[in-house]
Amino acid sequence: MADWLKNVLSDPNILSAVRVTFTMAVCSTAIASVLGITFGILLERFRFPGKKIVIRINRTLMGSPPVVVGLIVYLLLMRRGPLGPLSLLFTIQGMVIAQTLIITPIICGMIYSYLRRSAPSIREFAVTMGADRWQTIRLIIRELRKEIYFCMVTGFGRSISEVGAVMLVGGNIRGRTRTMTTTISLLKSQGIFTEGVALGILLLLMAFVLQWICDMLQREEQEDENY
Amino acid sequence: MKITDLEKRIGTFRLQIDHLDIEPGRIHGIIGPNGCGKTVLLKTIAGIYKPDQGRIDYEGVTSREITMMSQRPYLMDTTVYKNLIYPLQIRKIRPEEGRVDELLEKAGLLAQKKQYARSLSSGERQKLSFLRAVIFRPRIILIDETFSNLDPESEALFTEMIREIQKKDPITWVIVSHQMEAVHQLCEVVHHMEKGRVVEK
Repeated sequence: MADWLKNVLSDPNILSAVRVTFTMAVCSTAIASVLGITFGILLERFRFPGKKIVIRINRTLMGSPPVVVGLIVYLLLMRRGPLGPLSLLFTIQGMVIAQTLIITPIICGMIYSYLRRSAPSIREFAVTMGADRWQTIRLIIRELRKEIYFCMVTGFGRSISEVGAVMLVGGNIRGRTRTMTTTISLLKSQGIFTEGVALGILLLLMAFVLQWICDMLQREEQEDENY
Repeated sequence: MKITDLEKRIGTFRLQIDHLDIEPGRIHGIIGPNGCGKTVLLKTIAGIYKPDQGRIDYEGVTSREITMMSQRPYLMDTTVYKNLIYPLQIRKIRPEEGRVDELLEKAGLLAQKKQYARSLSSGERQKLSFLRAVIFRPRIILIDETFSNLDPESEALFTEMIREIQKKDPITWVIVSHQMEAVHQLCEVVHHMEKGRVVEK
């Protein structure tokens, strides 16, 4: 086991895939969280014509097939495409754009539904306490911090496990845009199963850690002990 | 506080208060059957609802000096202590630890000071919410139905604390209930409500 782990961790291709995956997932989750949380708050707070349609579109995007998003981003970024001059195709930045488009609606939709459920009573409470507008917003964010964290973890999980969009937009270039998932896909097609399985285990391990963090947060909520 | 020609619609319900005088420094009771608009009236006074028509003259009391204790108090996702000092925190007042402990002690919540607030029993939640309402010394306190579901011990505690506050530095209380007894015992002025209106009895 130890030898196997040593081999896996000393393979530069695998290390680079882990690095690319992490860079991409962290960047896209960060951007998608800022956008998604902001949109979610605005969507819950304000009434405007067409709000129902916006919500419906967002729900549709929450379940959009990543490979379709990948295709659209590819068409936008390809040399003859409208954003071609930016030369973002086959770069990590391009992959982050695709991932952000996939994750933002998910985070926005989740935040929106959490807010719909709890924001009215928090707002009412804030009025009775005499909180001003900013104190109310801060209170809502603080009260929903676990939910916000849960959304971010979900987004991150989606990002590290995604294959289709990063394959199309990133191009699976070794050492540059090859992620853990696209490496597995490639290894399988070459019939190299051992390393594929090793990478798979690494990914599962990451998913487990994420799940564990979520679990800790939920448990903290239920515990009656001092904290 | 003077309420004149106040109107507030919520769905098919209509609250209509032609005239209601809430004298400062006294304990007022509002009695009426369920669904007669007591809570809507309190929430409108508290500023949670905006009146559709008419006005409330607070006679110099600002919105920050009014607080309301809800029927089901909202407790923040944190400890008993942090819930208690929240109104002080947002007013940038440093809590006097002695007074905080004294209040908790009186309500029998001192042992739970560092405990997670949402693990409290419903009676303890009401007590905490009551302490949180009085801790920042507001000028008007609105209490919604709390007295209807308290155990005798807590009811005695609330009554005692209200009387104590009135003796030292009287503030205005508006206590809503569908239980005549509790309200009549404590309140100096009692108003009756029916179908969204204040009626004479």
